[in-house]
Amino acid sequence: MTLYLLRRIASAIGILLLISLFTYAIFFLLSPDPAVQICGKTCTPDRIDQIRAQLGLDQPFWQQYLEFIRGIVMGRSYGEGASAVSCAAPCLGFSFQTNESVMDMITARFPVTATVAIGAAVLWLLVGVSGGLLSAVKQGTGWDRGAMMVALAGISLPNYFLALLLQYVLVVQLQILPFPQAVPFAEDPVRWFQNYLMPWIVLALGYASMYARLVRSNVIDTLGENFMRTARAKGLPAPLILRRHALRPALTPVVTLFGMDFAGLLGGALITETVFGLNGVGKLAADSIAKNDQPVIMGVTLLAAFFVVIGNVVVDVAYTFLDPRVRVKSA
Amino acid sequence: MSPTVTRTISLPVPGAALLEVDDLSVTFPTTSGDVDVVRKASFAVQHGQTLGIVGESGSGKSMTSLAIMGLLPNGGRTTGSVRLSGHELVGRSDREMRRVRGDRIAMVFQDPLSSLNPYYTVGLQIEEAYRAHRGGSRKAARAVTIEALERVRIADASRRVDHYPHQFSGGMRQRIMIAMALCLEPDLLIADEPTTALDVTVQAQILDLLSELQRETGTGMIFITHDLAVVSQVADDVLVMRGGDPVEMGTAEQIFSRPQAPYTRALLDALPRIDDPFSERPTAPATTGEGRA
Amino acid sequence: MSSSVPSELTTVAEEVGAPVGAPTPARRVIATLRSSPPVLLSVAFIVLVVLLAILAPLITAISGWGPYTFDKSAVDSDLGGVPIGNLGGISAEHWFGVEPGNGRDIFARIAFGAQVSLSIAVSATIVTTVLGVVLGMLAGFYGGWVDQVVSRVMDFLMAFPSLIFMIALLSALPAGNRPVLLVVVLSLFGWPYTARVVRGQAMSLRTSEFVESARASGAGGIRIVFREILPNLRGTIIVLATLAVPGYIGTEAGLSFLGVGVTPPTPSWGQMIATAVGWYAVDPMYFLIPGTFLFLTVLSFTVLGDRLRKALDSGDAAS
Repeated sequence: MTLYLLRRIASAIGILLLISLFTYAIFFLLSPDPAVQICGKTCTPDRIDQIRAQLGLDQPFWQQYLEFIRGIVMGRSYGEGASAVSCAAPCLGFSFQTNESVMDMITARFPVTATVAIGAAVLWLLVGVSGGLLSAVKQGTGWDRGAMMVALAGISLPNYFLALLLQYVLVVQLQILPFPQAVPFAEDPVRWFQNYLMPWIVLALGYASMYARLVRSNVIDTLGENFMRTARAKGLPAPLILRRHALRPALTPVVTLFGMDFAGLLGGALITETVFGLNGVGKLAADSIAKNDQPVIMGVTLLAAFFVVIGNVVVDVAYTFLDPRVRVKSA
Repeated sequence: MSPTVTRTISLPVPGAALLEVDDLSVTFPTTSGDVDVVRKASFAVQHGQTLGIVGESGSGKSMTSLAIMGLLPNGGRTTGSVRLSGHELVGRSDREMRRVRGDRIAMVFQDPLSSLNPYYTVGLQIEEAYRAHRGGSRKAARAVTIEALERVRIADASRRVDHYPHQFSGGMRQRIMIAMALCLEPDLLIADEPTTALDVTVQAQILDLLSELQRETGTGMIFITHDLAVVSQVADDVLVMRGGDPVEMGTAEQIFSRPQAPYTRALLDALPRIDDPFSERPTAPATTGEGRA
Repeated sequence: MSSSVPSELTTVAEEVGAPVGAPTPARRVIATLRSSPPVLLSVAFIVLVVLLAILAPLITAISGWGPYTFDKSAVDSDLGGVPIGNLGGISAEHWFGVEPGNGRDIFARIAFGAQVSLSIAVSATIVTTVLGVVLGMLAGFYGGWVDQVVSRVMDFLMAFPSLIFMIALLSALPAGNRPVLLVVVLSLFGWPYTARVVRGQAMSLRTSEFVESARASGAGGIRIVFREILPNLRGTIIVLATLAVPGYIGTEAGLSFLGVGVTPPTPSWGQMIATAVGWYAVDPMYFLIPGTFLFLTVLSFTVLGDRLRKALDSGDAAS
C-alpha cells in the first residue's frame, strides 16, 4: 500500500512539475518583456530596469525556471543588496505591482474561497444526492420527471446569469436579502450568512443538478443488478436492501467525483467570486489577469493545479478503501 | 394449435406434496399488448425429491420459478395456484412472501459473481439472510455462517468468511450461494441454471454437492436447466417446457426412455451420442411462436 | 440485466410483430426526434437559433438596425442612458429593446451574437470530435506505447485548471483573430473528454468478432481502425458531439463574460451579460434577454443529446 501511495505521489509531483514548466514557458514566450508586464500599468523606465536586474531576466529560460522551482522548495530572494526582497518558502512568486509575495496574497484570500467551496459543497451534496435517490426510488412518477427537468435546467443555466437573476429577484425586487457585502463572521453572523447565501446557491445549483442525475442513474442501474435479486430472494426487508445493497455500489463513484469537484473549487470559483465581489483566490486570479500581474497568475494557476492533482491522488487512494475489488493486494 | 400436454404421472394427493402448482400463468404488459411467458404450467415437487424443468431459453422456465417466489420483474402478473405444503402463495402480499423467501423457499441463481454484492464479505451476506429470519446476535449468525460454508466444503471457512466475492473462484462462489440458500434449512430449493456458468469439471462437483446436501437435509429441489445431460443426473421428475407451454411431464426414467411428445423426442435426439458419431442430428424445432398473446 | 427476462420477453415480443432485428442507429435517432414534446421543442429552438444566426444580416437589413448602430433617440440621456419605454425599450422599432447608454438594437446583437456563439461552439466541437475520436481510437485499439503516450497527455490536460489557464492565455495573447484563437484554446482542453470515452469503446471493440475476422482476412491496423471500429462508434460520436456543443457555448460565453472572449464591438451573449451587470437593477431586460437565449440554447442541446444517448444506449431493449 505504501508503495502504491509513493508511486502516486511521485507521479503527482511529476505532473505538477510538467504543468509548472508548461505554464512558465507559455508566459515566458508570450511576454516579450516580462519586466514591463510585471511592472504593470503605471511604470517608469527606471523601475523597468530595476525589475530586470532584480529578477535576473537576462538569464536563460532554464535557469529562470529552475530558480522558480527552487524558490518553491526553499524560498528565494529577488535582487541583491539593499533592494533585495525575500520570499519565504514555498515561494510561488512575487508581485511587484502590489509588493507582496504571491503566497501571502493567496493565504489572505483562501478562507473566502474555502467558505464558498464548503458551503456550496454541503448544499449540493444534500440536495443533489437526496434528490437523485428520491427520483430513482420513485422512477417514472411525476416527482421523478419534474426533478429531472429541474436538474436539466440546472446544468444549463450559466452561473453569472443565475447570479444576476437571483440578485435581481431577491435583493432588488423582493428585498429578502440585503446587498452582498463582505462581513466577517465574528462581527455579524447573520449578515455573513446572507452574504454567502447567494454565491452558495449559484455554485451549488449546477453541481446539485449534475449529482442528482448521476445518483439517479447509478441507483437505477444498481437496482437492476443481479445481487439485488439475490437480496430479495433471501427475504430481506426492503429498507435494508436499499440501505445496504443499493447505496454503496451506487454512491461510491459519486464520492470520488465529489473529491475531484471539491478539489477543483479550492483553486477558486472564478466566475462566482467575481460576480459577487467575494475576495477569494478566484477573484484574485481574475483581477491579476486584468492587471496582467503575471507572478500572481502563475502562482494561482499552480495552486489550482496542485489541488486538482492532490485531489486525484486522494480519490484514487480512497477508492481502494471503498471498493473491495480495487484493493491493493498486500499478500 | 393447442399445445400438447402429456402427463405420464398423476398429480399426488392434494396436501401431500411439498409444492403443488396448478395452471400457473405469467403475463407481462408490453407496448404491444399483454404477453404470456408461461401458460398454464402444472407440476408438483415432493419432499426430498428433485423436479427438473428443462427447456431452451425463452421457454418460461426461469419465469416459473420467479413466479413461485413472487419475484417477477416489472409488472408481471401471476395467475393460477401455487401451494407450499398446502398453503396458497399466489396473491400473497410482498410482506408475507418475504417471510417465505429464504426461509421456506430459497433460490440459487446462474451467475454467482453478479449474484453476490461485491462490496460486502460473503460472511455478511450469509449472516444477513440468517438474521433477517431468525434474529439473534452477530456472533450466533457468524457461527451458523461458518458452519454453512464448511458444509459446502469451503476450506478454511473461519478465515474465508471475511473474504469478498471476487476473491473466490466461480465454483466456490456457487458453493457460497448454495450455503447462503441452505443456511436457513428451507423446505424447497430452486436452482436456476446453477452450473451453466461453470466449467464442466466444476459442474460435476456442484451437482454432487447438491445431491449430497439434499440427501442430508431432505430438501425438495427444483432444478432448472437447458442441459438435458445435467437433468438426467439430478432429477427424479422432469417437466419439459417450450415457448411458455408445458410440453411433457413425467419421471426421469419415463421422459428419457419413453418420451411421448415430439418436441421431447427431438430434444433427446439432438443430444450427441458417444456410440454413433455419424448419426444424423436433427436440430430441435425452433420456437415457432405458438405463444402469441 | 443478464437475467432471463429481456431475452424471453424480446423473443416473444419479436414474434408479436415488432421490427425484425435491432433498429439501426439512424432509425433510432429519427425515432427519438419524433418521440417526445421536450425533444421536439428543443430541436425547434435549435433550428430557430441557427436560422437567426445564419439570417442575421438579412434580418437586420429588414429591421433597419444593425448591431453596431447607435440610436441615441431610444435612450434617455437625462436618466443616465436608460432606455425609453417599458421592458428595456421594446418597441416596433427595436423588437428586443436597446442597450442602455448607446442605444444599440438588442435584437440585432442577439442575432449576430448567435452567429458568434454557434460558429465558435460548432467549430470547437468539430475539432474536438475529430481529434478526440482519432486519438481515442488509436490509443484504445493499439494499446501499448501509443496508449501510454496519449493517456499521459490526456491526464495532463485534464489536470490543468483550464479556466484559469484559458483566461490567462487569452488575455496574454494579442487581439488578433479572436474567434479562431478561442476555438483553438477550447479544443486544446476539450478533446481529452471525447478521447477518453472513445478510447474505452475502442478497447472493448478491439476484441470483437468482426475485428478478428477483418484481421484474419489480412486487413492491417489502420484499415481496421477506420473501417471496422469507427462505424461502430457512430452513435457515441453523435452523442458526444451533441453534448459538447452546449459546453462550448457556455464556456465561450463565460470567457466573454470575463472579458477575454470575443472583443467588443463584436457582440457575444456572454459579453452582453457582462455589460448588463452594471444595469441589472434598472434595466433587467438587458441581462435577461441574452441570458435566456444562452440558457435555452444550452438546454435544448442538452435535452437533445440526453435523449440521443438514452436511445443509443438502450441497444436491444425497447425504448
